[in-house]
Amino acid sequence: MADMAVQGDVMEAAGPYDRAKALSAFKLGDLTFYWITRVSAISVLLILGGIILSLIVGAWPAMKEYGFAFLWTQRWAPSADPPVLGALGPIYGTLITSIIAMLIAIPVGIGIAVFLTELCPQMLRRPIGIAIELLAGIPSIIYGMWGFFVLGPFLANTFQPFMIRIFEGVPVLGAVFAGPPSYLSLFNAALILAIMVLPFITAISVDVFKTVPSVLKEAAYGMGCTTWEVVRNVVIPYTRVGVIGGIMLALGRALGETMAVTFIIGNSFRISSSIFAPGTTISAAIASEFAESDGLHQSGLILLGLLLFVLTFFVLAGARLMLMRLEKKAGK
Amino acid sequence: MTELSVSTTVAGHVPQVPLPEAPPKVTVRNLNFYYGEHHALKNINLTLGTNRVTAFIGPSGCGKSTLLRIFNRMYDLYPGQRAVGQLMLDQTNILDPKLDLNLLRARVGMVFQKPTPFPMTIYENIAFGIRLYEKISKSEMDDRVEKALRGGALWNEVKDKLNASGLSLSGGQQQRLCIARTVAVRPEVILFDEPCSALDPISTAKVEELIQELSEDYTIAIVTHNMQQAARVSDKTAFMYLGELIEFDDTNKIFTSPSDRRTQDYITGRFG
Repeated sequence: MADMAVQGDVMEAAGPYDRAKALSAFKLGDLTFYWITRVSAISVLLILGGIILSLIVGAWPAMKEYGFAFLWTQRWAPSADPPVLGALGPIYGTLITSIIAMLIAIPVGIGIAVFLTELCPQMLRRPIGIAIELLAGIPSIIYGMWGFFVLGPFLANTFQPFMIRIFEGVPVLGAVFAGPPSYLSLFNAALILAIMVLPFITAISVDVFKTVPSVLKEAAYGMGCTTWEVVRNVVIPYTRVGVIGGIMLALGRALGETMAVTFIIGNSFRISSSIFAPGTTISAAIASEFAESDGLHQSGLILLGLLLFVLTFFVLAGARLMLMRLEKKAGK
Repeated sequence: MTELSVSTTVAGHVPQVPLPEAPPKVTVRNLNFYYGEHHALKNINLTLGTNRVTAFIGPSGCGKSTLLRIFNRMYDLYPGQRAVGQLMLDQTNILDPKLDLNLLRARVGMVFQKPTPFPMTIYENIAFGIRLYEKISKSEMDDRVEKALRGGALWNEVKDKLNASGLSLSGGQQQRLCIARTVAVRPEVILFDEPCSALDPISTAKVEELIQELSEDYTIAIVTHNMQQAARVSDKTAFMYLGELIEFDDTNKIFTSPSDRRTQDYITGRFG
């Protein structure tokens, strides 16, 4: 008690002087804080710019040599003299595997989310939820090995021959599902990608589905809607923006995924109409060749990296645009 | 003295002469309801008269809304809740576990405490419910939507912006949209769960007027915390307390000469 009183006295006596000093100290702290946050934010731009710049510098020789023809040349012969490099195969493979992966992962992922939030008995909810999260935590190399040793042989021995037989002679589809069956194929890679991105779609969908007010769902049930009608007409429209965000995150990962895909895609630069044929993606091509490359070959691989960068950017920008349009249409 | 003046104010809002007894639309016999172990409704007996408005009043937690949610089996959405007893809608046993809930809810519509427009356009909010049960042409649908919106006393305010989002309307308009949506499905019974508690006085007056009009064609049950509202809109009033039905009688009688001491205490504002 006495101590406090004494302290109070001292502070009061030294009041004006201390206060100014304290304030100036605060000012310095404020200024430091301001600059730390500002530099952190700016550094993001610098790093991004630096990456783009170094990619362009590295890719420059290849750009000069091949020009735009790089985009639509299929031949990839780095050991020819002079080397012939074309990115059509990897670009095609990247797009096809991502599209197939999303075609599988979107309905399944959203389906799981609907089951978990609307239909699942309380008892199963946690185990399934945790399993999905664990799926997201598995390193991609494990997926690659599993795809190579388990999924690939299974598909090549059972699923692929079955599909090939069914669609034999059917126009268009016959070419898409053409033989011979292979352990290493675009389809295997796409399937692994689908499994890898599934947790993103499910986890985000579950989170946004939970934000739907229960009274809104009750209102729909109260009109006599079935669970399917409630999900289709109320839950998904209400959470559309969040769900699409999750899908975009998943697509971003699918486009750039490297290790698992490199294992099972076959690394063939030839474009085949069949999804059961080996192919390659941009990231798989870089990963499998970069270590042994030099000169123009290396520059070509860096140019591939730059292309992936641009591709991802356009996909994400397109998604943003679509989202904005959707929101306008909903009249929000 | 204060008590007397309050009760006359309430009584002053009761203009209508009691209507003749109506044939029962919904019959409740020895109904009990449980939230898990908790016994929430105890031996409820009452009837909702055809094309009459029945109000449910009572302090919070007395089971009014619980009772209402049994009429369309809304409680079925939640595990652990169960109802025991007899509950008939005309000749249909509402508590029959094999009953088609979607059809039941088409016959028994519900309007909630908070406005709940669906995330779609005003037009679609109405057309959506109709489409669940009927396949009709575009022009027929236009007619039905207009009729429903007129029925919800909303047509004049929204006829030029049917393609705007239902969420862009004001709270009172949203609530009337929800009423119109419910009416559009052509139910037999409409349940109102405190429909005005989120609305301003003017919107409240509009909704109350609407409820009176609707009672010409529909059997209505309304839960309300506002006793003047119960007195204004209802023909019969049920007073509930701690899960029991204390008194159920003509609204006039409940608000002028209740026979139970607890009813009198509640309507005069001694508790609740």
